[in-house]
Amino acid sequence: MTHVGTRVAVAVAVTAAAACSSLIGPPYQAPPAAASRQPPPPAYVAPPLARATVPPPPPVSPPAPVPPPPTPTPREYRLGSAAAALVAQAQRDAASGSPQLAEGTIERALRIEPSNPLLWIMLGQAHQSAGQYELAGSMGHKALQLAAGDPRAQAAAWRLIGDSLRARGRNSEADDAYSRADNLVPE
Amino acid sequence: MRIGKLIIAGGLVATIAAAIYVVHLDRIVTREFEGRRWTLPAQVYAAPLELYVGRALSTGDVEQELRLLAYRRVSGALRTGTYTEAGGEIEVGLRATRFADEARAAVSLRIVTSGGAIVNLEDAAGHAVPIVRLDPLLIGSIFPIHGEDRIVVTPSEVPPLLPAALKAVEDRTFDTNHGIDPLAMLRALWVDLRSRQIEEGGSTLTQQLVKSMFLSPRRTASRKIREAIMAVALDAHFSKADLMTAYINEIHLGQDGDRAIHGFGLAAEFYFGKPLSELDLSEIATLVAIVRGPSYYDPRRHPDRALKRRNLVLKEMLEQQVISAADAQRAAARPLGVSARASGAYFPAYLDLVRRTLRRDYREQDLTETGLEVFTNLDPLVQADAERTLDRELARLDRARRHRPPLEGAVVVTEPQSGDVLAVVGGRDVGYDGFDRALDAHRQIGSLVKPFVYLAAIETGRYDAASIIEDQPVAVKLADGRIWRPRNFTRQDYGPVPLVRALAESLNDASVNLGMDVGLDAVTRSLERFGLTEELPQNPSLLLGAVDLTPLEVAQLYGGLANGGFRTTLRAVRAVISAAGKPLQAYPVEVQPVAKPDAVYEVNSMLEHVFDRGTGRSALAVLPRGLTFVGKTGTSSDLRDSWFAGFSGSHLAVAWVGYDNDAPTGLEGATGALPVWSHLMAAISTSSWDEPMPDSLQQITIDYPTGLRAAPLCSSDPVTIAVPVGTSPPIKPGCPGGTLGAALSSTAENLWQRAGKWLQQRLH
Repeated sequence: MTHVGTRVAVAVAVTAAAACSSLIGPPYQAPPAAASRQPPPPAYVAPPLARATVPPPPPVSPPAPVPPPPTPTPREYRLGSAAAALVAQAQRDAASGSPQLAEGTIERALRIEPSNPLLWIMLGQAHQSAGQYELAGSMGHKALQLAAGDPRAQAAAWRLIGDSLRARGRNSEADDAYSRADNLVPE
Repeated sequence: MRIGKLIIAGGLVATIAAAIYVVHLDRIVTREFEGRRWTLPAQVYAAPLELYVGRALSTGDVEQELRLLAYRRVSGALRTGTYTEAGGEIEVGLRATRFADEARAAVSLRIVTSGGAIVNLEDAAGHAVPIVRLDPLLIGSIFPIHGEDRIVVTPSEVPPLLPAALKAVEDRTFDTNHGIDPLAMLRALWVDLRSRQIEEGGSTLTQQLVKSMFLSPRRTASRKIREAIMAVALDAHFSKADLMTAYINEIHLGQDGDRAIHGFGLAAEFYFGKPLSELDLSEIATLVAIVRGPSYYDPRRHPDRALKRRNLVLKEMLEQQVISAADAQRAAARPLGVSARASGAYFPAYLDLVRRTLRRDYREQDLTETGLEVFTNLDPLVQADAERTLDRELARLDRARRHRPPLEGAVVVTEPQSGDVLAVVGGRDVGYDGFDRALDAHRQIGSLVKPFVYLAAIETGRYDAASIIEDQPVAVKLADGRIWRPRNFTRQDYGPVPLVRALAESLNDASVNLGMDVGLDAVTRSLERFGLTEELPQNPSLLLGAVDLTPLEVAQLYGGLANGGFRTTLRAVRAVISAAGKPLQAYPVEVQPVAKPDAVYEVNSMLEHVFDRGTGRSALAVLPRGLTFVGKTGTSSDLRDSWFAGFSGSHLAVAWVGYDNDAPTGLEGATGALPVWSHLMAAISTSSWDEPMPDSLQQITIDYPTGLRAAPLCSSDPVTIAVPVGTSPPIKPGCPGGTLGAALSSTAENLWQRAGKWLQQRLH
């Protein structure tokens, strides 16, 4: 019985991971003056410099002695091609019923892009499907910390946190997490 | 008549006794040999190097790693275990290998680099390969104390020349004899009698095998008889092929401290750093030469003797027509070619950490006997840089401090996000498997504690980086009634200062004032959340770091800062698989939130200024340009310990310098450990600390000495800090104020920050 449960959970994780993998971008280009032996920086799409000086007006602006700081142009985290290949492999691992293998493969990707919130979300989803709800929630928070400026990644992190909370019976907190996610990026 | 009967009876009894003895020995031999499983020490591997397009690696880096893995550079055809290099292109015949999660067959790979990064990666058929791992480097094994270490090989892994050479040199009648060679024994006996001592064994390979497997090393006549009987029995029961395989895996071929090198599989790694199957004729002959006396013919300690005997082996192989004259000549002309360092790479301090991790989950016997394969997070390149840097900087410090005993030191390097331990250096003598300072030296951490005092302060919500605290003499009444009066390191007082300055310059008085206001409890709690396990003294001196920690424990604490308020369990071991390749245990990445990310970000952005204004200024000349680092010096009372702990975006390093006997060194954190730390960070060329600022924070510019808000151009010493959104320190007199002024200064700040970054990247 528990076996079936795990299978279903794994299937859910695969779907979720597949949803995340839609964020996979074009092949990551190496920075020209790369320092030796280092993994590349997270392949987020940096806002063009010129645009940053003319920020869009913030949505809410209460009268304050200090004007709000310039809103940074939203980042969008993507996966580099190496990490994307590993994530694809992790999806195959999970689909073939080896969730532990999948977890290891996502960790491998994480070593390449340790600051990429998408990978933390996927790893958290893997733990969630393995029933390690608390660790899954921690990874959601970790992703959130890294995802500053990327509403889509933040929303995915909040949904993971919501799943983790709901699995632990903390339903009202879970609803709060889901609504934060919906406020960032409506589902 | 009677006497005759007695003789017959006695003879009968003796015969029966002898027969029983023979049967007894036969039983032992059969049972032991059949049930023989060599005790297989766990093999420990470093993290494999990941190759993918975009990875910043030069051709030189890839070559260095390949050489470490004992790949040979060739110019002609590519075979497994070799590579070719031409104009930024490397083609390599990767060996079949096993990782924690998969086995990979031998495969050839083309690696193209340009501008210090991999630009193309494809297989033999020209298909792009998105990502591939090089073989994991074998970094050691966990063998029993005074025990045998070995790598067992199967017949298919044995080059055919090896048994041929063994037969030619050690046992010419091996294929036809019955375990003993009576003629050879008589010859040996004659030599021994003439010289009145036992010099020649005249032993067959089977006898040598028996001796190694079943008997004590003492040389007595009775033992010789026992050996002969057992050899005959062994030969009667088992095939020659089985005996040869057993011999190749059993025999003693060297000593490495407490570690006995057994079998040709390990000997090939130990002396030549490559698998047995890849040895050439001269290397095989060298190993066969060593059989006769592993210490007498030790090719590292006695290369002349070893070379002479190797050539003798080649001569006998030629005489026995195992090899051609041309081959013999060519091989004899080659140098010994023994690798400089035992077993290619040997990192006792790191292995120590691996062993401690595994002992929590495995019995000693499982580790030393069952052939586990252990995959670790060791980064051989970072480890090599850490060893080299510590050695070089300590030597430099020693030269500058003439007439003082040599310093000791330790370094730990981790990847903060995952908690992977990348390198551990336990002291200057890196090959010495002794006192591991990184894990066992409990030393006073001094000011390394301060970030946690400031974190506790910010977490109260009553302080931010611009808050003013008093840097003036403090007197704290202790529980026993005594009065504690800490002083600033500089013996000066700076009056009212902003938090950022007090932390960057490590002001003691200000920090004690702050800590007493926040409370020892809160500081203790923040340290405990970040992973401190030992009981902390509830004494105000805690605020100045009167607590003894190891470099590894410091790495754990600072990991939580580097990780933005998440504690990750430090991990040396990634996974363990059984000898048969079955996954036994994985040590997954674990994170736990321990502090609010915005509070930690505030502390980190204050610690950034350690390098441009604080105690770490001397590192600026060494650290790579344009990269942001976060770190803190630590100095214990009377200058007994010099510490530096800090991190970039991808590496956290802790360095300690001091004396084992706790004697004063005359060094501060900035003069002892910081040079080690900064040269290491420069050597590994890491990435910038580039954590995204939490949405709840904003960057503002203040006047560094006073903490007053000032547009960059309105202060002679402006500094950028992160504070909660809405924080508005009083405006510096004479600077534009009010909403308009602040708005102006806010825009100016942006420009200033960008200009500052630009300047930073180009000027220093």
